[in-house]
Amino acid sequence: MLSLPYSKTKRYLTGIDWIIHVLNYMTIKETGADFMSQIAIEVAGAVNADELFNRLNAFIKKYPVLYGYASRDFNLAPYWKIPPVKKADVLFDSVTVENDAPFETFIQYLEEKINTPFKDKRCHLAFHLISSDKKSFIAMRFDHLIFDAANAEAFLDLFQKELKEVTHSDYKAVFEPAHLSLWSEKFMAGQRVNRAFLKIADKVPPRVLPLPAVKNKFIFKILSFDNKDAEAIAENAFNEAGYLMLMPYALAASVYCFHKIFTDRLISSGDYVIPVSINMKKQGEENNRVFFNNVSFFIFKIEADLAENFTGLINSIKEQMYNQVKEDFPGDLCRASMLMRIAPLSLLGRLMKIYLKGQVASFSFSYLGEAVYKSSDFMGQDILNLFHMPRVPVPPGIGIFFQRSNERMNVILSYLDGILINDEAEEILGLIKSRLGVK
Amino acid sequence: MEKEKHKVIEEALIQEVAAILSRDAGTIDPELALHEMGLDSLGFVELLVIMEKKFNIKLMESGLTKNDFKTIKSLSLKINGLI
Repeated sequence: MLSLPYSKTKRYLTGIDWIIHVLNYMTIKETGADFMSQIAIEVAGAVNADELFNRLNAFIKKYPVLYGYASRDFNLAPYWKIPPVKKADVLFDSVTVENDAPFETFIQYLEEKINTPFKDKRCHLAFHLISSDKKSFIAMRFDHLIFDAANAEAFLDLFQKELKEVTHSDYKAVFEPAHLSLWSEKFMAGQRVNRAFLKIADKVPPRVLPLPAVKNKFIFKILSFDNKDAEAIAENAFNEAGYLMLMPYALAASVYCFHKIFTDRLISSGDYVIPVSINMKKQGEENNRVFFNNVSFFIFKIEADLAENFTGLINSIKEQMYNQVKEDFPGDLCRASMLMRIAPLSLLGRLMKIYLKGQVASFSFSYLGEAVYKSSDFMGQDILNLFHMPRVPVPPGIGIFFQRSNERMNVILSYLDGILINDEAEEILGLIKSRLGVK
Repeated sequence: MEKEKHKVIEEALIQEVAAILSRDAGTIDPELALHEMGLDSLGFVELLVIMEKKFNIKLMESGLTKNDFKTIKSLSLKINGLI
């Protein structure tokens, strides 16, 4: 029997979802583990592991979509096959550490978790608790097939709201049409995206750091600024880049700092190409588009000659952002990517490298902005911080992420072990701190 | 006449900010700073691009000062001066 297009067991994948599947395929091939991320919530005091497990388990079982997998429909459109019910328990583990354990101890545990592959194609989510009497970390590890970063936060926010009985989720909106119409619109968008990529493409590949020859794990370095420092950074962005220009400012600071490492390594061929993911979900849509990916991308090309000129960098980024908004490049990418769904993952992975002569990007960047998780507590315990630990798609295998939470600002450097040595990673953090104007 | 023109621009800005933020236009306070309403870099550039198209002006090349951006009211005054 054929399934109906809008069935409870089927959710068509968008073009962007399919691109995320390609990045997942490429990352598994290079590292042995998924293109996944982890949200770590740092709370004051100890967390009761049994209570946390029971609450999460009851909540997660309401969403069998989290245990789906990709398949192809009779019309060739890829879709997410949703099992009718979820009987097995949510993946959960906990560990207790000493009360005076340093932050590095927690990070080591969190790193170990985020580098653990999911055991099969139906597993996309796991929870980890690292607890001490003084403070604890609750980590939600997820692959990007089911959540983008903002959606993952929205999902935790939904969990918290349900605990407080602020809202009672009656989530049914996992449906997405097959998008098998308006072909001329998609082809026109494809033509514009093609032209944009040809403009970015050069005779030589972009500047990249070489990938390690073996399947390594990801390493994370975290800079966390308190409210005073975060305000100072916003003020500096305001003065140097303009009103509401924190994202271009943070990207300019990142290019400026990465350039020093590239230069020290004597990597001098090509310019920088940086994809920047942006949230396409409008405010108020948090709860009705919680799953899958509601993102698109800007693609910035930064001439290496400009990388030491901070004002020039900011101006170039602002100009490119303005032009891409004006031409609706992110929207075109969403429409054009619908056409790519016909291609198998391995083929599309190869096609994605054609424009940039075998490369995808110099590094990844995102500015997540204000937190989507709104509550100041998690299960009644005060939140000290909330940060993301994303495994970057490989290639490029390195990225930098800015994100706000609880009046703090976090900067996370994520890289495949071997792309940078520890001293270089520490140097990047030091440079970022100084470039953002924080002592 | 001038007052009416200013009102039209302010109303257009309110409508666009409401659309970008997916909020009801009635909840948009023209005297509140745009960042306090939740507008980010992307939303702000979207707003400028829409206003440029709508009023056939070049906002980005008009020597905007920090104060021009602060609120819908100040931005509408700036646009009014460019038309």
